[in-house]
Amino acid sequence: MNLYFRFKLHLGAFVLLVLLNFSTAFGQSDPTGERRVTGTYVIKNATITTSPGKTASNANILIKDGLVQAVGSNINIPKEAQVIEADSLFIYPGFIDAAGNAGVGKPAEAERPSDFNPSNPPDEVAGITPWRSVLDYYDPKSTQISDWRKVGFTLAQILPDGGMLPGKAAIVIYGGNASSNVLANQTAMAAKFRGMGRGMYPGTQLGVMAKFRDLYKNAELSSQHSRLFASNTGLNRPEINKTLEAFYPVLDKNIPVIFEVSNDLEIRRALTLQKENGFNIILSGVTEADPVIDVIKAANAKVLLSLKLPDDKVAKADVANKSEEVQARTKRVKEAYELALKQAALLEEAGIAFAFTSMGARSADLHKNLKVMIENGLSEDAALAALTTNPANILGIQKFAGSLEKGKLANMVIMTAPIFSEDAQIKHVVADGYIFNYDTSKKKNGGNGEASVAVQGIWEYTSDTPAGSSGGKMEIKKEGDRYTGSITYDNPAGGGKASSEMKDINVSGNYLSFSFSVSAGGMNIDVNVSGDIVGEEFSGNMNLADFGSFPLNASKVPNQFNK
Amino acid sequence: MNKTHYILAGLFSMICFLSQAQTQKGSVLIKNATVLTVTNGTLENTDVLVENGVIRRIGSNLSASNVETIDASGQYLMPGIIDAHSHVALDAVNEATSPITSEVKMADVVNPYDVGLYRALAGGVTVSHAMHGSANAIGGENITLKHRYGSGNPEDLFMKDAPRTIKFALGENPTRVHGRGNGNQPRTRMGVEAVIRNGFNEAIQYKKTWEAYNEAKKVKGATPVPPKYDTRLQTLADILDGKVIIHCHSYRADEIYALINTCRDFGITNIVFSHVNEGFKVAPELAEYTMGASVFADWWAYKFEVYYSTAYNAAILTENGVITSINSDSGELIRHLYHEAGKAQRYGELNDEQTLALITINPAKQLGIADKVGSIEEGKQADLVLFNEHPLSVYAVPQMTFVDGVKYFDINSDPDDMRLRVSASETVEPIFLKEHDHKCMHGVDFFFTNFGRNLFDHSH
Repeated sequence: MNLYFRFKLHLGAFVLLVLLNFSTAFGQSDPTGERRVTGTYVIKNATITTSPGKTASNANILIKDGLVQAVGSNINIPKEAQVIEADSLFIYPGFIDAAGNAGVGKPAEAERPSDFNPSNPPDEVAGITPWRSVLDYYDPKSTQISDWRKVGFTLAQILPDGGMLPGKAAIVIYGGNASSNVLANQTAMAAKFRGMGRGMYPGTQLGVMAKFRDLYKNAELSSQHSRLFASNTGLNRPEINKTLEAFYPVLDKNIPVIFEVSNDLEIRRALTLQKENGFNIILSGVTEADPVIDVIKAANAKVLLSLKLPDDKVAKADVANKSEEVQARTKRVKEAYELALKQAALLEEAGIAFAFTSMGARSADLHKNLKVMIENGLSEDAALAALTTNPANILGIQKFAGSLEKGKLANMVIMTAPIFSEDAQIKHVVADGYIFNYDTSKKKNGGNGEASVAVQGIWEYTSDTPAGSSGGKMEIKKEGDRYTGSITYDNPAGGGKASSEMKDINVSGNYLSFSFSVSAGGMNIDVNVSGDIVGEEFSGNMNLADFGSFPLNASKVPNQFNK
Repeated sequence: MNKTHYILAGLFSMICFLSQAQTQKGSVLIKNATVLTVTNGTLENTDVLVENGVIRRIGSNLSASNVETIDASGQYLMPGIIDAHSHVALDAVNEATSPITSEVKMADVVNPYDVGLYRALAGGVTVSHAMHGSANAIGGENITLKHRYGSGNPEDLFMKDAPRTIKFALGENPTRVHGRGNGNQPRTRMGVEAVIRNGFNEAIQYKKTWEAYNEAKKVKGATPVPPKYDTRLQTLADILDGKVIIHCHSYRADEIYALINTCRDFGITNIVFSHVNEGFKVAPELAEYTMGASVFADWWAYKFEVYYSTAYNAAILTENGVITSINSDSGELIRHLYHEAGKAQRYGELNDEQTLALITINPAKQLGIADKVGSIEEGKQADLVLFNEHPLSVYAVPQMTFVDGVKYFDINSDPDDMRLRVSASETVEPIFLKEHDHKCMHGVDFFFTNFGRNLFDHSH
């Protein structure tokens, strides 16, 4: 891919930047305490999987200034290297999220002109903003990024938020705070089948597909016009249109279109547009791929499987005493559920080197879901490849990411046990040469709803959002092996507190997650909360769909109801 | 592992079903049926031999080797029923955001998993016209579907040899959605006509621009600047060139006649009117200038412009020489169009052949596919339905339905659950109630404020 050259440039600049930073580090005090004492580390005596299927035991890895310098059992260790003893630890290449939106904010809604005509809205209002760069809406300090890094992700292609053509993607690294952490800009043009709602054109998939075709065709004509104008006199000047110009790198096949799809029908629709127009395509958010595997292969489309798995609604359904019809219907849901879990295995079997997208998924589910996919036929090597080498190849960054070799970015996941084994925990994540440490003192309990901490009771929480600090109460009860609860919060409509039911309460080890919805201004906002409980304290994050992620901390109220 | 076996078994049966149901052509010999040919009278005790999806021979004492033979003694064989106005198997119906959306294509949003297709097959319907809704003066291009239920590939359902058609709409729906709903044209019936005329005039200009460009390109060394491309206007230009058949939602005689005049002004003859409740008032004009009218048997009074209606409409139109069909516009009515046709006979005293033509050869003519389907003739595609009684009897129940000679419905092997794809996380799917969605005004509810919603809580 010719992307590579651009990356090389970025990488060069980036390494230079790190070096400069490093050289000035000695002379100054560091009130933040974040600056590293050294950028050189050696991790000793670990079991290192340099790429899927290639594992060496009792090996060392030397990283310096964000790059892997050497991997092996016999390497020279420079004296400035900080030594990390890693006996009994397992090292893997850092995970790559081939399409994510952690840290990506929503652009402000474009203002409608006074002569707004819903049948012909300005591009910006209609969600047609392919000229936008996701980086303009990216907050590298977002707690969402910490959430994903905590489970092993070190690098991501981030997609912009918006309508049918929200803008251009970029590739970022989940490294330290000193850097912009940008590896490459304008890496793909994002597209999806949803417009900005039905109130304006294009309102449905019908309109979106027609509009995409028209834009593509006119981008071709506009580019042709520009070329003619550049080489001839006496021609009318081209009308410069930033929407059409934003298509040019796609027309030239310098970047792919990354199409957000859901099921097989949307995959077919995206591939129909691809076939008609001939662009390079990445399908992102793939589910239900089984009927279209041949179609995907024929189109040579790249596949990003959704990390989200459906909820199991039938496992606990007791239908033995129900009618035959209910039993038969339940059996079909069960089959559909099992087929959904098998998607990764089916793609592997078909020889499609897929990667994952985190969009729509929760970081806390990552390792659980990967294990489910493996139980359903995905090989461990393919699972690791989907997190490392495959996304590197799909994004065209395999020269410097995806595996652990000399000269590659120092991105790795360091675990207490082999990656997909039951009690594997992440002890460190190294991203861009920065080491992030995690608490592995508490053993997880396998995640089947068993809590090692008492979650039930009344909690008082506070959350800090840009709008200020607010708080309320969470009341969690245990009913059988399930948790129920309610949460109070400042009523968005004003006037005291409002309350919502806590849904999907999931307790695993000392990890607690749940969601609830808040109705504000006529719409329902989904809020996802996740974090860890230590003793009587909960510290975590609250994710508001489209608005960002904010810290949420809670303490248990010590009264008799909590006994 | 038990679990794995279970999954594999499920997968295997799914794959078998899907691959068996790909757009294949079937062969079958149906013996001793009462054959209602529609175009060539009724043939008693007659055999029909289908080879490779095509009706090869009609006669007596036919035999064929290696072909399934069905003894249809005492049963009635008629051509597959054709529904000239349907919204079944579509993921979206209305791109209700612009008065003209001739650039959108229903083929893009066909959902082959819609169990409504199987329900239609159980009612003997083998071909349906999957249409854009009636929110816009000029809607999108429709797609003619053959009900080859079982494939997950929408293209397997497309009747690829059917000509292009497009949806137009007059009257209350487009004026309500755009005029009153959004404050732009068309606000009145006059506005609808103006939108259509302006569209055609723009298309003429558009076509000229491209012709001039293509002409200029032929000159050696010339560097003409390409004009803007516009599928919307290109499609309208194709209508003017006779490449696309208009199917126009309409009720009132005045607006029907007005659009006939508009079409005459632009030299358009490929137009079918749909619903046409006041069609009986302009029957001679419809007969002379159009490809006919597709009506309801007795459905009216769901909004102001549909009060002046009669159950004699189909008969009056037929007797005036209008190519007339009866359509469903509904995922429910599509299951018993033979009853709907029977109503026209009950009121208007049409003969059997005229009545059956309302749901077979006539809609085929309106869709431009009468040379391929719509009657039982040698050489035609083998879309056939076998009934236990005469299909115009109230006791008639379809027994088997064939598309291209392949049996897609058999009342004797008709499992309860014919869904092709099931949600992994919903134990009760909304699909059980989904027939409400198969309607003309699907997806435009949000345009109406209280006034509109209460007064016009209907669907056509």
